[in-house]
This record gives sequence, C-alpha cells and structure tokens, in this order.
Amino acid sequence: MRELILNIERVRRVNETHQHLILSADQALLNLKAGQSLLAHVEGSSAYLREQWFPISISKSEVVVERPADRLYMPATTVHVLSMIGQPFRYRRTLRSVLLIAYNTSPTPLLLSIPALLANQVGVTLVLLGSAASYKTEHIAPEIEVIIGDADFNWANRVTTVGWADQIFITVDPADELASFRKLWALFNQLRNEIPKAYLFGVFQPILPCGVGACGACMIRTKSGTTFACTQGPAFDLTEMHLT
Amino acid sequence: MSVTVTRSNKSSLTIDTPVMPAAGVFGYGDEYRDLIQLEKLGALVTNPVTVSAWSPSSGTRVVPLESGVLVHTGLPNPGLNKVINTYRSMWSRMPIPVVLHLVITNAEEAKRGAARIEEEDSITAVELGIADDLEASEAAKQVAAFVEASEKALIVRLPFGVSADFAEAVIDAGAGAVVLYAPPRGTARDAGGRLVSGRVYSPIVKPLVLRSVGQIVRRVNAPVIGAGGIHSAADARDYLDAGAVAVQVDSLTWINPKMLEIIARDLGGLVITQPLGALPDEWNPGMGETERRRRISDAPTKEDP
Repeated sequence: MRELILNIERVRRVNETHQHLILSADQALLNLKAGQSLLAHVEGSSAYLREQWFPISISKSEVVVERPADRLYMPATTVHVLSMIGQPFRYRRTLRSVLLIAYNTSPTPLLLSIPALLANQVGVTLVLLGSAASYKTEHIAPEIEVIIGDADFNWANRVTTVGWADQIFITVDPADELASFRKLWALFNQLRNEIPKAYLFGVFQPILPCGVGACGACMIRTKSGTTFACTQGPAFDLTEMHLT
Repeated sequence: MSVTVTRSNKSSLTIDTPVMPAAGVFGYGDEYRDLIQLEKLGALVTNPVTVSAWSPSSGTRVVPLESGVLVHTGLPNPGLNKVINTYRSMWSRMPIPVVLHLVITNAEEAKRGAARIEEEDSITAVELGIADDLEASEAAKQVAAFVEASEKALIVRLPFGVSADFAEAVIDAGAGAVVLYAPPRGTARDAGGRLVSGRVYSPIVKPLVLRSVGQIVRRVNAPVIGAGGIHSAADARDYLDAGAVAVQVDSLTWINPKMLEIIARDLGGLVITQPLGALPDEWNPGMGETERRRRISDAPTKEDP
C-alpha cells in the first residue's frame, strides 16, 4: 500500500454516462491487476471520503480511470491516491471463455481485465442487465461480445453463454449488493445443476472509508467467518459467501 | 516530551506524543504500517473489542454526508480471547503502548474482560467503551467492576454529550482518564433511500466537543483526552489549549492517513523541517514518480536567471 500523487492530465467523455480520466503514470501502478483499485481524493473536491476508482487501462505513460459523467473533474488537478486496494481477480489458468455481467451498474470494475484476456485468446462476453443496459460500449474492444438483457435477468442465448463460460464475474449496484447477488445466485442455481468453486464471482463494491481493513465498514460474511471487501476483495467466490 | 495521560493509580499510561488514533479507525495494529510510522504516535488504540464475538451489522454501513460520514459497523470482532491470541505477538513488538478498547454492556462483562486482560503484558492500558444510554451510576458500577479486577491503567470513553457529573462519577469509580467523547450518533438516508443510524464523523463535531472539554477539565481531577473532528494540527492544539492532555484522531486517519502522523510529529515537538538540499522524494516519501519528476523539473537550476 502506498500513497501516490497523480495528476489528471486529460478528461475524455466516452459516452452519455461516463468519462475517462487520463492520469499521469506512476511506476508503482504498473503492477496493478484487474480487480484492484485506487482510493482517490481529488484536491479541491468537497467529497469527504476517498472515491474508489477502478482503472480500465494502465501503461507506462498513463493510467485511465472510468468515472460517472455527472462528476466534475478538471485537467491539471492533483489526485492523492491510496494504491493498491484489494486483490486481483482469480482467473483460472486454463481459461477459454469468460462471462462478465453488470446488473444495475456500470461494468467498470470488470474492464481492466479485458485486454489481458483477449491477448490470451480468451473469449469474453459482456452482459448488461437492468440499468446497465444504458451503458454505451463503443469504446470497448470490438472482439467483445456485448449482450443487452433486461432487469429480470433475461438475455439472448442465456443458456448457451452460461454453458460456455469457464468463469463468471458479476458486478451489481452497490446500494443493493447482497439482495442482487442473492437473486443472481438463485438464477445460476436454476441454470446449472451444481455451481463449482471458483466459477461464479461477485464483485463487491461497498463504500470504503479506509481501504486497509481498519474501519470494519466493508466486512462481509463468508461461510467460514468474515472478511474485508477492501483487502481481500473485491471479487469473492459466491459459493463461499453468506448472502443474507 | 513524555505525557502521563492517566492518573497515577495502580498503574498509569505515559506516552511520548499526545496524539493517538481513536478506537475504531485504526484496526488492531499494523493495518496502516505502510502509510504511517507507528513510532511517531503516542499510543495505538485498538478497534473495539467485546468479551464475546460480535457480527457485522446488516444493511448499509456507510453513508457519505455533506461534510463527513455516518458509519454503522455493528462493532464486528471475534471476541476478546481471539483478538488477544491473534495480535499478542504483534502488540509485544509495537514501538508504542497498546491501549485495548473494550466494549462492555454490564458490570459482569467488565469484570470478565478485566480478568482476561490482566494476564496480558502486551496490553499497556484499557479504554472502556460504555453504552450511550447508560445512567452515570450504572457506568460507575461498570468502571468499578473493571478496576476491582485489573491493575491496568484505565481510560473511559464517555458517550457523546454527557455532563461533568457523569465524568466525575466514572472517575470516582476508578477511571484514570476520560476521553471526550465517543462520536455522536445520527441518522441519514443511504443511496437506496433507507434510513441508517450510526456514528457521525465530521469536522463539525470538534467545536461541540471542544466546548465540553473546556468545561469538564475544570470540574474533574483526572486527565481529559479530547476526541472528535480533528482534521489538522491546529484542531489538535485547540484541544490541548482547552485543557486536554492528549487527543485522539478519528476519521481523518481514513481520508488522509499521513496527517495523523504529521499531527503527532507536530504536537510531539518533532515538527518536520525540510533538510537543506533534500530531494523531493526524500522530503515526501509517498510522492509519485510523476510528481517527483515535475517538482525536480520545477526546481530552479544554475542556468535559471
């Protein structure tokens, strides 16, 4: 964990709902993997807590972060970030097809993994459900199959896409996280006879006051006890979670 | 500069710097090891620990406010025995005293907790957290029960807004010092429109507590530790000026961890000054590569007129 000072070099509107902040690069961020995030405080911002930022692209020259378009960010602003928050997604080594699902929220936390998955010849399908259907995907690599579904978890070729997927990562509206994961758990129990371990992951995004496991606000219940979404998350195997 | 922050009772707590994290913001020990030099702090105050295990609260835990945050965690912890067994070794190696924050709900728990803690050398002192809606007489009973069973230095964190009479009652019962106050409780709507109750952390808390510190310090014959709303070294100094012997920093630790250390260095008489000729990254070890390069390139050179 380090505290870094970055600059917002450019702000680029990518669709009706989201903008990309192009940040100055920092060597320390090159090791950041899909799933890990930053806790950011923008100088001059009135927000009291740090915002959780999920990078969608990292290179030696820049870090790109996706943020909602209704937040105001100005170029040449300094950002204090705590890095790195959380653990990388646990993709299987023998992976051929991944299903990424966003339900009532943007798929932002899932996007950083896409370039690496494509580079490893992994097929990626992105399903946008509920209000996530309004997320415009023109900026996403054309190799990704994007499927728009409804709020009742119906989408085209649902049985096939689930059947082909070696792993599934789901992100949901943080305001209703456990209830949403419960519904999705029930759905996948209908679609499959048995849900194996390390197959169905929920990406938890509670508000993180500290990001280091000190405040206890992001503690979630597992079948073996409790864990922190900030230090051990954001992705948890739903077979190991207590979703009540 | 050492400060004795509890009365000389059976034992007392002396710290090098009158600044420590408040209970509930700093974890159990090493969570902030990468961001804060622990040895610069006066003491480590642990997250709240209960005699038996408590589960995390269900529902929304954090509601961002206009200028602050409301937090309701349910004080999840695995219970006193497990916490001690897990962290004993780390606490023994800590460069600063460890103050365990023990939450009790009755005198019997106070006695049981005290007996367990008494066996532990790694714990220097105890901060007792008592329920918000307790009468002074009941709080005094709980404190007396703890003191009867333990020789450890004892601090009592008082519920928000209690009077000097309440403070006097727990001090008379054996408290070596009091913390004013636990964060106030409030209610706010979360993003889903549900009402959530919890503790409020905000800079606005400071003037409210500061007034009480000034009043209560004059009434009680035990040290007072100020806590609430500290967001700068000046805020912390205000508490000392009002008569507090030390301060506890709460949510600032979350939003700007380094500030806790900076306040501790400041009030501990270690105000940092930039060594002549120090490179920017020596001056600010957390600085990013980009910022370091920018500052170096901004620095005047021999060629500059």
